[in-house]
Amino acid sequence: MTRTLAHSLDHVSKEQQWDFKLWSLYDSRYDIMRQYLEPENFIGFGRSRRRLALNTLSKGTKADTLILSHINLALIGIIVKILNPKCKIWLVAHGIEVWRPLSILKSLFVKRFCDRVICVSNFTKQQMISWHHVDPQKCTVLNNVVDPFIKHPEEFDKPEYLLNRYSFTKANQVIFTLTRLASSEQYKGYEQVIKAVARLKDRFPKLKYILAGQYDSTEEIRIKELITACRVEEQVILTGFLNENELADYFLLADLFVLPSKKEGFGIVFIEALACGLPVICGNADGSVDAIRQGELGTAINVNDLDELEKAISSYLQTPLTTETRHLLQQQCLSYFNEEDYKKNLLKMISEANGN
Amino acid sequence: MISKKRTTLEVCEKVTTMCHALQHGGPDDEGIYMDESNGLVFGHRRLSIIDLSSNGHQPMSDATARVWITFNGEIYNYLELKETLIASGVKFHSNSDTEVIIQAYLFWGMASFSKLRGIFAFGLYDIQKQLTYLVRDSSGVKPLYYMVKDGELSFASEVRALKKAGLATESDKSWQVRFLAFGHIPEPYTTQKDVYSLPKGEFLCWYHSKNSYEIHSYHVATPKTIINVAEQAKELIRNVLGHAVSRQLVADAPIGVFLSGGTDSSILTILANQHRHTQLKTISIYFDEKAYDESQYQNMILAEIEGEKFAHLVKQSDFEEFIPQIIEDMDMPTTDGINTWFISRYAHQDGLKAVLSGVGADELFGGYPSFNRIKFLKKLKRLPRLSFSAAKLFTSDKYRKISFLAYDHPLADYLLLRGHYPPMDIAEILDMDLSEVEAILFDSKGIPKISNFDELDAAWFETNLYMQNQLLRDTDVMGMSHALEVRVPFLDEDFKRLVENIRLDIRFDDLQPKKLLIDSFSDLLPEAVWNRSKMGFTFPLQQWMKDHEQISDSNYYQGKKAKQIIKDFKKSTMHWSKAFALYQIQRYA
Repeated sequence: MTRTLAHSLDHVSKEQQWDFKLWSLYDSRYDIMRQYLEPENFIGFGRSRRRLALNTLSKGTKADTLILSHINLALIGIIVKILNPKCKIWLVAHGIEVWRPLSILKSLFVKRFCDRVICVSNFTKQQMISWHHVDPQKCTVLNNVVDPFIKHPEEFDKPEYLLNRYSFTKANQVIFTLTRLASSEQYKGYEQVIKAVARLKDRFPKLKYILAGQYDSTEEIRIKELITACRVEEQVILTGFLNENELADYFLLADLFVLPSKKEGFGIVFIEALACGLPVICGNADGSVDAIRQGELGTAINVNDLDELEKAISSYLQTPLTTETRHLLQQQCLSYFNEEDYKKNLLKMISEANGN
Repeated sequence: MISKKRTTLEVCEKVTTMCHALQHGGPDDEGIYMDESNGLVFGHRRLSIIDLSSNGHQPMSDATARVWITFNGEIYNYLELKETLIASGVKFHSNSDTEVIIQAYLFWGMASFSKLRGIFAFGLYDIQKQLTYLVRDSSGVKPLYYMVKDGELSFASEVRALKKAGLATESDKSWQVRFLAFGHIPEPYTTQKDVYSLPKGEFLCWYHSKNSYEIHSYHVATPKTIINVAEQAKELIRNVLGHAVSRQLVADAPIGVFLSGGTDSSILTILANQHRHTQLKTISIYFDEKAYDESQYQNMILAEIEGEKFAHLVKQSDFEEFIPQIIEDMDMPTTDGINTWFISRYAHQDGLKAVLSGVGADELFGGYPSFNRIKFLKKLKRLPRLSFSAAKLFTSDKYRKISFLAYDHPLADYLLLRGHYPPMDIAEILDMDLSEVEAILFDSKGIPKISNFDELDAAWFETNLYMQNQLLRDTDVMGMSHALEVRVPFLDEDFKRLVENIRLDIRFDDLQPKKLLIDSFSDLLPEAVWNRSKMGFTFPLQQWMKDHEQISDSNYYQGKKAKQIIKDFKKSTMHWSKAFALYQIQRYA
């Protein structure tokens, strides 16, 4: 998300002849991806908090607008605001990091030192207001958009090399989930999907479930035990970490994307799937609903209700999308979540803030 | 080559030039195929090993001329595949394995690539689908270099061919940085701009209508069944390796085994003896320098088998005489491969066209010191990073290499274990900025983050960096420079998969390198052969390089740092590969 934001800001800045810099705490200088941003405008601090702090004091205070991409940078925001009260401090609020009580420092920052909060979804905005009593006027919803550099498919055939890789035929119906599979997480949506697949496999004998994402060894054992217990060894495939450049092909391989999650601030993965014409099922109690435009582009369900999930999946499997409808879905998604509009909104926000 | 911009005649000329540049690897026959409509020309120089008749001529097509192929390598399971295809009604007109690739493709499409077992690099043109595939085997034994520029695709088995044809004219200066760090040029990079190696186990698909391409892996995901019982593992190893050797002995031309006297080649020799149909030929090397001479171990193995031993003495004067030719034959700079050059030369002189080599066993079973060192590395990395930059202050090589730990990048970890020069030295030698050197070395994508610092991580490094980029590449190019095909049974797909399914604590042992492999053949392998320090086909190069007039003459080198290093080399125990690396940089300058 930050890549896209940086790219958009870089573009807008060039057009307006503003001076833009991206400072990243966790990236090293080797991590710059040149297509998003020129190296001169990027500093990677390689986890050196000390260096970041020093640079902030010397150069950061001279900015007109400082955008902090995460609440953990609150202290920086406070320091800069104190040293340069004219600087506009903005915070990007994503999801779970702000859906909870905040430390005194972060609370203070949000209430007193922050001029505007960019919320990636309506849900996050509501959370900011209800948890932290932030002035609704200070909150702007700016939905995330698709990465401008990812090529979106023009045709929707299932890629042959992926069919071969998993020994699928075109007759197989493929459900796809992409998420981090962490043993530390309490609620795991993919477990619900595995159970749903167990219920559906008799009615849909050609059903396959690709569960993709990095997992640790503890979680691997758990999932495999669940798969065995549900007797879906034939159906479920664990891929592990996916190569980014194959991601679009996986969306094409699949007939449905399912991630009944409770903790998506927005759920970029949903719009990435939609941008490949892939229909999605998401949870109805987090930021995902923005990604499906409150039901226009996909289906939101109660994540605790296995019956509802089963029903939703089976409905898509019974009437699969045609190439035409996939294409339409793609166009709809892109019409709402494209970088051009994102840039316009950013430009508007920054200009207003600086009294232009 | 595929080009819609030039005339077919011009493309044909280029391809012919490329063929001539590759004559050494294919002395038996030459062929050209062209398709004007797509500006496509395939060229081929043949080394006949299976089906020596003209039926094996390439480029080859099926009876309807729908598909054309130009192919380098061997398909070991070609008879099995052929049987399956014949049973489904397919007709063959030759006994060659090349034809089996074509028919397998016609029958299974792209899915056929993962069914092949062997060493291969091929270009396949599907006229009906208007596609051309470039495909490389899953271990990357056979090379495939390609170049896409201005909408044109060119490919060849050696970079030399693309250079000679005037296609890859610009050198990529980064190669010097990589070469000094690694001792070779890591894939996918080469010495030339825009020329890359196709990754192993992958194919490039060229769309003629759109003049565009995609690269994907053809790997098929198969469920892993972990082998938990040591006895079962050993039995399977014997069976599957035996089967691999048996099918890799298939040849209509004379084939033999490289016998160094070490564990791996000894095992192969014993197995080959069990499966042979004619008298087994072994090729060995010995030296006047007794410390390097492994004859006694070679003879122990030979006593166990019925074979014909070809032993050759390599003298220091041979080294001096041939080093210019060796460097010429390398195709791309490397600090290894000298041993393979010599043994391939003798194998060829002895009338062989193919040999079995023990490459791959060390990577699979933990035969290198790095497998233990990597655990030590994990402890080292816990120290504060700042202290590593202080390594600059040391003059001794070993300690200066510690500066690699200051970099938080997996390649830096590998280079600490295996690298030649640290970035600060490279910057001095080449008169570059340190940051430039670092950017070149650490910008590679596709290297996974190592997390466990265990044998599996070491195996990944050794397999995908050292073995792939140095051992395999050097072995193939040196073999082919003498029209000799080097086959590697330890890298047989089915054997590799078996070993990767063995539980880690059974597969690797802390005290004895390659314990599992040795135990699997304990009744056949004499103890003296394995119970000694690893030699690895070693030549007395430390002395020979020091004695070589030009290599050890600091006046030959430009640049203060280079001169200094060579002076040190003459006086100290600095490893010869570092001097040899500088020597090649100087020659190319």
